[in-house]
Amino acid sequence: MTGRDILLKKLSSYAFASHELKLFLDTHPKDKDTLKKLKEYEAKYKELKMEFEDKYGLIMRKTDDTLMWSWVNDPWPWEE
Amino acid sequence: MFVYEKRLQYPIKIKQTNPKLAKIIITQYGGPDGELGASLRYLSQRFSMPVPELKATLTDIGVEELGHLEMIGTIVYQLTKNLTESEIKEAGFDSYFVDHTAGIYPQAASGTPYSAASMQVKGDPIADLHEDLAADE
Repeated sequence: MTGRDILLKKLSSYAFASHELKLFLDTHPKDKDTLKKLKEYEAKYKELKMEFEDKYGLIMRKTDDTLMWSWVNDPWPWEE
Repeated sequence: MFVYEKRLQYPIKIKQTNPKLAKIIITQYGGPDGELGASLRYLSQRFSMPVPELKATLTDIGVEELGHLEMIGTIVYQLTKNLTESEIKEAGFDSYFVDHTAGIYPQAASGTPYSAASMQVKGDPIADLHEDLAADE
């Protein structure tokens, strides 16, 4: 596995865990422990996503670049 | 509104192509109970759900199924990359290839194109949730 693969997998793990917590909250919207845990995981995801985007390219569209719309750059997710 | 993230829900990197397997897996893409069907079910049934928890759940899982759809498409794409003519013929992939080459087309393993006729929206929460259970079997 390349450094990119490892970081992507780590980031995906936090995103997946966050997603599961969100589904739980959909039916338990007042569960404080889960709300707290979600906040923690989301912060970690945000941090890893920033690291990934700095090194390997965008995950979400950004409009702060005035030189190039790098969103179009390869690879796309199915081409990993 | 939907926001796209340029990553798969789980990373996929297939090293060995396998068109025979792709012919089966594609049913999870565009078959009667595939990810496309699941997504359309949840995102359509949510409009008539009576309580906020159900509206939230169907919205979030309906979107998640689109992420699953993207993963299945990726699997089929990677399983059928750079095939030779004899690989296509030997795997029985020629019946798919003649219509779609190596493009990803929403169809069942039988070759039947995706159809909303394989799902239902009744506007009744109990009936719709049971329909979801059946599709998830």
